[in-house]
Amino acid sequence: MPTQNLIETTDLTKQYGKVICVNQLNMQVPQGAIYGFLGPNGAGKSTTLKMILGLAKPTNGSITLFDSPVNEKNRIKLLADTGSLIESPSYYGHLTGEENLRIIQTLKGCPEQDIAKVLKIVRLEDARKKQVNHYSLGMKQRLGLAAALLGFPKLLILDEPTNGLDPAGIQEMRELIRTLPSSYGITVVVSSHLLSEIDQMADHVGIIRKGELVYQNTLESLHSHAKQQIAIRVNHLPIAIDILHQRGIEPTQENDYLLLPMVDDAYVANLCQQLVSQNLSLYRVEKREKSLEDIFLSLTGKESSL
Amino acid sequence: MKTLKMEFYKIKRRKIGLTMCALMAVQFLWLIWAFRNPSESERLQGWLGTLYSMPLINSIMMPTIMAVLASRLADVEHKGNTYKQLETLRTASSLFHAKVFCGLIFIVLMFVAQFTFLILFGHYLRYEGQPDIGYYLRYLLLSLICTFALYLLQLALSMLFFNQMVPLVVGLCGSMLGLILMYLYNWNFRFLFPWGGYISTMFVGADWDQNTRIMTYYYMETTENGFLGHGFIVLWMILFYVVGRILFTRREV
Repeated sequence: MPTQNLIETTDLTKQYGKVICVNQLNMQVPQGAIYGFLGPNGAGKSTTLKMILGLAKPTNGSITLFDSPVNEKNRIKLLADTGSLIESPSYYGHLTGEENLRIIQTLKGCPEQDIAKVLKIVRLEDARKKQVNHYSLGMKQRLGLAAALLGFPKLLILDEPTNGLDPAGIQEMRELIRTLPSSYGITVVVSSHLLSEIDQMADHVGIIRKGELVYQNTLESLHSHAKQQIAIRVNHLPIAIDILHQRGIEPTQENDYLLLPMVDDAYVANLCQQLVSQNLSLYRVEKREKSLEDIFLSLTGKESSL
Repeated sequence: MKTLKMEFYKIKRRKIGLTMCALMAVQFLWLIWAFRNPSESERLQGWLGTLYSMPLINSIMMPTIMAVLASRLADVEHKGNTYKQLETLRTASSLFHAKVFCGLIFIVLMFVAQFTFLILFGHYLRYEGQPDIGYYLRYLLLSLICTFALYLLQLALSMLFFNQMVPLVVGLCGSMLGLILMYLYNWNFRFLFPWGGYISTMFVGADWDQNTRIMTYYYMETTENGFLGHGFIVLWMILFYVVGRILFTRREV
């Protein structure tokens, strides 16, 4: 049975004046997934998520949420099963954390007991009576997540939820997000410009570059793109290239290294012996792996941040 | 209803009610100071004199009070970046209406307080006879419409501008304009400014006798120009409501 997609966008486009921020984006978020929406700053992640939530109007294209095409009339009804945290947390600083959640709980129409539950999940029970103006940034971010979790929606959309958090806070947030599908059956869309973050949280990934979705699949599939190679460095490359040609290997040259396809240990040992026997000085033999970073950079361009 | 209820919940500890009370208190103190020792002639025409003075005082104070009210109600959303969350729970239109009704409730309460104060104060000063309730209610209705129109203007500005200085400056300028319009007796087009509504809908006139130093008040008949003034305050109210709603609902968060 094919997996149901909770979000599907078709040719979703957003244009401000002459600038195309999101260009014909076809996003598919399967149910139960943690979908990492990855891209450099300014790639169009937030704009896409805002369009999904109806906070920005698409110039073109369509959005389907929970199998229903979203329009102005059914938007709020469909979003009732969605929680969101866009860019920075929304809060009333003069109210306490609990009072802030009560506003969302009342407007969402979810049970009052949810307030205590979500406060416990984000570990803000002790600070619930404190005014949010006195919260740290990390606490505000957790409060934002708690607000998004109210009513335990089917879909959670988090835009850069670890922004501004310290390393411990980032780790905590990641762990929390990771547990959401299994513990509460929540499908999560989480955006980030950090590959490592998505790598640690997501199981599906969509990579956006200059408004275009350049990759979308499982994270596992992205990992399989990682290519292993053997790199050798000798004092006289042309001789080494001849030897490799005799062995039927077509090496590629990168700086002072020759890169060959992945071979087993015995083959490497034998090759090294032959190179040395030809009076070549063998400086280095390394195993190289095309990392996720390399893949990300090749997909998004060298100028992108990681 | 839930959205409106939450509107009042949101402003908990913001002391908006207290601020409005303080501003109304300033207005009441002004009246107490101005009418503290009424002469016999002033006592005779006291009820009428109040209906002459109040639009002038409102025209100076209400633009600023409305700017403060709208700004206090709107900036809680700006400060916490809350629209992007609220608009996933409610339509922008319903959020706009909640603010409109919340403000309207404050305005009605303020004018009920003002109305009550005027009646009690008149009795305290032993004004001759009884107030003409029909005219007093007319004053109340016209003042409410003018004030509500100004509130809608200020609310639109406060909700659209992150920096609340912009709407506050507009409110202060409105107050100044109200003061200037007071002195333009012979200019018949004061209703062309939304801040001129209080004066252009006045129905009590006054004659100042320099020799006796006595002011004589009288009810004015509504002229063609007066009808225009009445029509314009309703027009301003509708215009600010429609434009404010369109701008608020069409903007992107």
